[in-house]
Amino acid sequence: MTGATSGVEKTIWDRLFTVLVAAIYIFLMFPIVLVVLLSFNSGEFLAFPLEGFSLRWFEALFSNKRFLDATLYSIQIAATSTIVNAVIGTLAAIYVARHATVARDYIRLIMTAPLLVPEILTAIALLFYFYEIRIGTDYSIGIQIGHIVVTFPYVFLNVSSALFNFDRSQEEAARSLGAGGWMTFRRVTLPAIKPGIITGCLFAFVISFDIFNISLLLKSLGSNTLPLELFDYLRFNFDPTAAAIASLSIFMTFAAILIIDRTVGLRSLRF
Amino acid sequence: MSAVEAAPRVEGRSNRGSTTWMVVPALVLLIGFFALPYLTIITMSLREASTRAVYGEGFTLAHYTTALGDFYIWGILGRTLLIGATVTVISLLLGYPVAYHLAKSRSRWTSLLYIFVLSPLLVGLVVRTFAWMIILSNNGVANQALQAVGLIDFPLQLMNNSLGVTIALTHVFLPFVILPLLGNLQAISPDLAMASRSLGASRMRTFWKVTLPLSMPGIQAGTILVFVLSISAYVTPAMLGGTGGRTMSVLVVQYLVDNFRWPAGAALAIIMAAVAVIFVGLYLRLTARAMRRLP
Repeated sequence: MTGATSGVEKTIWDRLFTVLVAAIYIFLMFPIVLVVLLSFNSGEFLAFPLEGFSLRWFEALFSNKRFLDATLYSIQIAATSTIVNAVIGTLAAIYVARHATVARDYIRLIMTAPLLVPEILTAIALLFYFYEIRIGTDYSIGIQIGHIVVTFPYVFLNVSSALFNFDRSQEEAARSLGAGGWMTFRRVTLPAIKPGIITGCLFAFVISFDIFNISLLLKSLGSNTLPLELFDYLRFNFDPTAAAIASLSIFMTFAAILIIDRTVGLRSLRF
Repeated sequence: MSAVEAAPRVEGRSNRGSTTWMVVPALVLLIGFFALPYLTIITMSLREASTRAVYGEGFTLAHYTTALGDFYIWGILGRTLLIGATVTVISLLLGYPVAYHLAKSRSRWTSLLYIFVLSPLLVGLVVRTFAWMIILSNNGVANQALQAVGLIDFPLQLMNNSLGVTIALTHVFLPFVILPLLGNLQAISPDLAMASRSLGASRMRTFWKVTLPLSMPGIQAGTILVFVLSISAYVTPAMLGGTGGRTMSVLVVQYLVDNFRWPAGAALAIIMAAVAVIFVGLYLRLTARAMRRLP
């Protein structure tokens, strides 16, 4: 390669690099922008040229009972996963950061393990297991537990990282001023780690809303989550209604990203 | 400092018996509904097949021997690994410049660019794969564009084959190589590159001799992540792979859901996982040599 001796060539390389990087950013964003664009297009087909602005595909979406049911079901499952993990994930993170002595690394490993293995394997494992312990997939309990397991590490990791950055002497000051364990937690620890909890919860919600493999294998008959409904719909249809569903899910994700960015900053995310 | 003196005292006060309950619910969840279920994949793969129930009475190794003697399954396994390796290499080639750029960027657009990297990760897999169907189908956006500029006369076959799966998976998993690399590159002290430059090395040489070796841990973490994710991906190959792009995950789900052959499907899943472990292990040994010289 040509060296740094010549100033002109350096700027050419710099420009080439900028163009390359810009192209990759476009590659990352293009499919998402495309889906949103086509969901507002009045034309019948998922193709260019755009024919004009229209909300007809969103109307089609909102008049479709299957999609509405699926959206509500997805929200229900994601909200339950988030609430359960907010409690048990935060408790576990505090235990590991503050109290664990023996087997601390092993506990940490098992707490993050669902992130380290492919989701499809976890889904298969739970499918067999629920059959063996006679829970089966007749009720929503199977799919719900699957979602809780897979999203657990997101809350655990984000709270752990908040605890790690939090100056412990504040807790000790509260203790030495006579505050009890619960009082110290509620007045000192909890406010300090709140951003980590919020980030972890938003993350868990978004991930649970998007999870596919777990839902595919563990769903009970007759109830589809939104990704499953979209997947089924696309087997037989290929029209902008699908783009409208996809758009809604994209808006939700970006709302979560903006909230995280405004409250704690995206760079503090852990996953 | 008083905090340091106070620490052991507080530690002593909170006896361990009173705090263990905090971790119990999480442990029950992850042992009861994560660790134990993984054991049932193994037991399931050893069960006899049965036509009347999910599995028969006895135990057998037949599902493994049948699968390993089947050229069709070897073909799918090979294709899965090839797709995984291609996606990993392309993701690294595309992800490295982005991570490098983000790590060096001081512009006020940096956080927007960071959102660009992060958002594909958080948008659902079905949605992203659907977007690629719009782009890659026979009268999709890519073929439209290529025909409009006159590069081709007839639509190219861009999906229902390994090519489509590879393109879409690269997009889907690219952030997973960028983010670990970004963390790694940001942790490298800029003084090192500056020292190399001031000693007369060119920018290229500085990159090859200083920055690249120091970013090996990030490369290793990112590539392993992308490889494991792409060989185990289900949604993307199922939606736009067709029969020409069918991978192991798609085959396993077909065994489990469509054919109701749970023991045989379990054996296939374990073969897939074992192959992944072997490849990651080999890769770790290879990259360990490159990393041994690191501080």
